[in-house]
Amino acid sequence: MMLFGDVGQERLKKANIFIAGAGGLGSPVSIYLAVAGVGTLTVVDKDIVELTNLNRQILHYDRDIGRKKTASAEEKLRAINPDVIVKVIDTTIEESNGSQLVGRADGIVDAMDNYPTRYLLNDIALEKKIPLFHGAIRGFYGQATTIIPGKTACLRCIFPSAPPKEVFPVVGVTPGFIGMIQVNEVLKYLLGTGDLLANRLLIWDGMTAHAEEIAVVKNPACISCGAGHTSKNAPAVKAKNVPERKKK
Amino acid sequence: MTVRIRFFARFRELLGTDIIVDAPKGKVLSDLVKDVASKNKEGYDAIFDEKGTFREFVILMQNGKRVETTAAAMTRVADGDEIAVFPPVAGG
Repeated sequence: MMLFGDVGQERLKKANIFIAGAGGLGSPVSIYLAVAGVGTLTVVDKDIVELTNLNRQILHYDRDIGRKKTASAEEKLRAINPDVIVKVIDTTIEESNGSQLVGRADGIVDAMDNYPTRYLLNDIALEKKIPLFHGAIRGFYGQATTIIPGKTACLRCIFPSAPPKEVFPVVGVTPGFIGMIQVNEVLKYLLGTGDLLANRLLIWDGMTAHAEEIAVVKNPACISCGAGHTSKNAPAVKAKNVPERKKK
Repeated sequence: MTVRIRFFARFRELLGTDIIVDAPKGKVLSDLVKDVASKNKEGYDAIFDEKGTFREFVILMQNGKRVETTAAAMTRVADGDEIAVFPPVAGG
């Protein structure tokens, strides 16, 4: 790849990215990370492919209806790039297993559909000192930000309270759009180049084709990364293989 | 003075967006949003609780800068301000 050079491509090959979810965001995210040559992708999902998923979950085809999303994802990602190690885990990400599932990943992509699990991923990212690439969607709307533990606001600083649960339609291009932003962030992070969406929340309004960003700041009283933090998730385990960001 | 309010996601579906408000001088942010949201009960209820306090998850911005909802009753709006009101989105 001319853009990265051999050194950059080798960096991607050595990287291990944890993708939480193989749905609307997880599909484009995992496909583009695979074609970029990110060496190890771990994809976790507990669901079965349903007909209503197919307008946006492009990892899964009509013939996959009724199949585990993890099995479908594994097959497609291996076919897309046989050089990538694809690990799939058919489970629910919970407090009891989350840290172990993420293991020694170099970063977590948030492709979840609920805030309780997002907060858990945020805590795991803080504990392991690895980035969390956040994305979320609804209808024609989406948001994304990159959380670098110790350097940026964490997810709870930005969203101290979860919005209420609701069932809503999603147009397939929205997770495609937000997923691409997440992948773009992962690649820049791994390559140590560009400016990350750090302390910036990107808001996408597909109805008006308008993207804007909000500056976000650490909350000193944050219960996940600030003074409100309890000892429950205190141990700070330094993850290995975290590439150093280039100094500017 | 003229202030522009933009709602996003669910708030936008209930209340519209790009609403131009003619506000009196000294109007505070919380009252401005309440006035506009009052035009649709469902929209109002999505943003405010029964006590008229911003729901915890609501995010407010004034000219691209975040304003904590707890400070909105003390934050005055000025002519030409652009106010954004939105909920975090949750899907994936």
